[in-house]
Amino acid sequence: MLNKYVLYAIGLTMSPYQTCLVEIPKLANPSNHSPPILSLKDQCWVGQFQAMASDCQVLLEGINQQRAEELLKLAAIETWRIEHKFSRYKAGNIMHQINHAYEKKVAVDNETTAILNFVDQCYQLSDGLFDVTAGVLRKIWHFDGSDNIPSDQEINNILPLIGWNKVHWKAPYIQLPNDMELDLGGIGKEYAVDKVCLLLQKRMSQIENCHILVNFGGDLACSGPRLNGEAWEVAVESYQDQKKAILKVKLSQGGIATSGDSRRFLLKEGIRYSHILNPKTGQSITNAPHAVSIAAPNCMQAGILSTMAMLQGSDAEDFLSAQEADFWVQR
Amino acid sequence: MQLNTSNPIETMTHNQIKKTPPKFKKIAPALAAASCSLLGITEAIAQENNGDWKFDVANLIYAESDSRVAATEPVFNATKTYVDGEILNVKLVFDSLTGASPNGATPSDTAQTFTRPSGNGEYTVDQDENPLDDTFRDSRGALSGNWTAPINRDWEYTLGAYGSKEFDYLSLGLNGGLKRYLNQKNTALNFGLALSADTIEPVGGKPLGLSRMAIPGSGTFDADFDASRADSSDNKSIIDALFGVTQVINANTIMQFNYGLSLSNGYLNDPYKILSVIDTTTGANYGGNYQNAGNNVYLYESRPDSRMKHTLYWQTKYALDNGDVIDGSYRFMIDDWGINSHTLDFRYRWDLGNSYLEPHLRYYMQSKADFYQRYLTSDEFTSGSIKEASSDERLSDMNAYTVGLKYGYKLSNDKEINVRAEYYMQTHSGDTGFGKLTSQDLYPDINAIIFQVGYSF
Repeated sequence: MLNKYVLYAIGLTMSPYQTCLVEIPKLANPSNHSPPILSLKDQCWVGQFQAMASDCQVLLEGINQQRAEELLKLAAIETWRIEHKFSRYKAGNIMHQINHAYEKKVAVDNETTAILNFVDQCYQLSDGLFDVTAGVLRKIWHFDGSDNIPSDQEINNILPLIGWNKVHWKAPYIQLPNDMELDLGGIGKEYAVDKVCLLLQKRMSQIENCHILVNFGGDLACSGPRLNGEAWEVAVESYQDQKKAILKVKLSQGGIATSGDSRRFLLKEGIRYSHILNPKTGQSITNAPHAVSIAAPNCMQAGILSTMAMLQGSDAEDFLSAQEADFWVQR
Repeated sequence: MQLNTSNPIETMTHNQIKKTPPKFKKIAPALAAASCSLLGITEAIAQENNGDWKFDVANLIYAESDSRVAATEPVFNATKTYVDGEILNVKLVFDSLTGASPNGATPSDTAQTFTRPSGNGEYTVDQDENPLDDTFRDSRGALSGNWTAPINRDWEYTLGAYGSKEFDYLSLGLNGGLKRYLNQKNTALNFGLALSADTIEPVGGKPLGLSRMAIPGSGTFDADFDASRADSSDNKSIIDALFGVTQVINANTIMQFNYGLSLSNGYLNDPYKILSVIDTTTGANYGGNYQNAGNNVYLYESRPDSRMKHTLYWQTKYALDNGDVIDGSYRFMIDDWGINSHTLDFRYRWDLGNSYLEPHLRYYMQSKADFYQRYLTSDEFTSGSIKEASSDERLSDMNAYTVGLKYGYKLSNDKEINVRAEYYMQTHSGDTGFGKLTSQDLYPDINAIIFQVGYSF
């Protein structure tokens, strides 16, 4: 007669905290990234993974480890999905199909439609300064820290291949002239930040109160203030030294994005050519701030505004002032 | 840009909003509308994933040496975690036991014949052999379900039901629990209550405590057998209460303290256990089986009809920086049967990347129940002074040791196979008898091998 009685221990679900790897199914990790890592710092769950050539970080407060692992898993899967779907570098995805259609119409799905509509609005609102077809300039601008500035001839040869207005976009069909390319690199990361932040908020139940900050390489969005009611503190790194924070920013709603030339630039005769290129002229913005950070209701909006501010060169501050948003400029 | 929540850093004031002439048009509102529209539209695209099922299947094999009890136990465990944090757990267990188990009588210098529990037939045990009842055979099916869900940020509840059935036993239970999180979920308080109602229907009916086993082959066997039986079934109820605290001590350590109270009432005997009566008369049979009219006397055991247990439990898990985990626990149990026990358990989980090795050591020590006796003396039998007695080895002074090793291999995608092998040794001690009985091994060791293969997916 064995003792058949079992009292279900209800306190054993918590495992000891440790830095743990969160397993992601292979199918949800098409780019074969390392698994996300979850750790605990000052009672805040810190989830980290790689995507879009950035350190991606998700901070979670007010939930237990099991939920933190669950949300981190969700965040990584969503980020990697977006990366894989819209990266210019992945063969076979929708961007690849559009860029290799040779003037054929390509039908796109709902999500791509929404993004292309947004891209179209940004092009109109910026009077053509925000242009997702400007990526071909990469063929002549190589931001490798050298003094290798393209010639006017090279630039003039490539300008005819730039211009969203030359793209035939009528949802759900897009048709690109030969040799033109779409590159969503300018909004992809910000889009992922907002998407992940919203997804995690949506995934929480009504009764849970998880406090979320999503930070992909300096582009951020949060769900609201921290668990203790205070704002998240975000350090903006110096354009000269990425290790050194020069600015402490408080964020309790919406998002922040930064554009700058701190990592990619050319230097010739003392002039720093930023990797922000004017799609209308094909030229690098030489008198732009080193970095512009801007707070906005979401990360995408902050990203577009900061990029546009950089494109204004010496007028960046005036442009930003006109937007009546909080911003921080490094010159 | 990096996040920095603790280090003081130099601060700069940010540009205050300046009113400037409208050199630039204000595009922020239109941009906000466009971006919200994008994010809003795409929100609907994200597919609702309604949580995942997680399954564990395992088969455990338990084999005692000397062809005693052997058991096979397949386990099926399924857990579903819902989006909102609810957890549903369903567990199905089958046990199948075969082999012989001690009937409680002492070994003797003569062969002994016992009536089978059913009253149909008999079995004989050779001289100097530990009496084992070879009819022992049982299978059991158990099904349990548990539902855990958050009530709000700080509270969580659990409700569960349990049922198990074997041919002579039915157990039905309900349990409920409340969990309260404190301290940003670094502390959890647990309150649990479980109720169980069991029905036992012993083969051959319920033996009367300390009644004499009918003598096989006797002319009055049927009448004697009936006289040793009361009803055909009886009941037992158990109430368990648990109070526990789980505390995250630091980034690497978690600790748990539990206090448990268990109250059992009703029929707590093992209906298949008997006691030998040993002759105290000086002479040739001193220390041999006491005989009445030329037949050995064996009595059915008799235990109190209630039991109250208190349990204290402490567990600590410590995670090393290299990913290994040390898990140690201590349990102290004391009850009003006079038993107290100490259990020390230690595991070290050695992380090998895709796999792990987990050595396991366990030590268990128990003091005997007040009414435990290896045998009754003829004086005790004839005077009728003893009201409660059991020779069940599980109520004796006991030490038990477990040495084991588990190996798990992760097959990615949340799948794991694991294999566990353990060696279990149980030793007993106590009164070694008198006269002829002293030459018998009254406390044989139990050695068992446990082997389990499991698969999680």
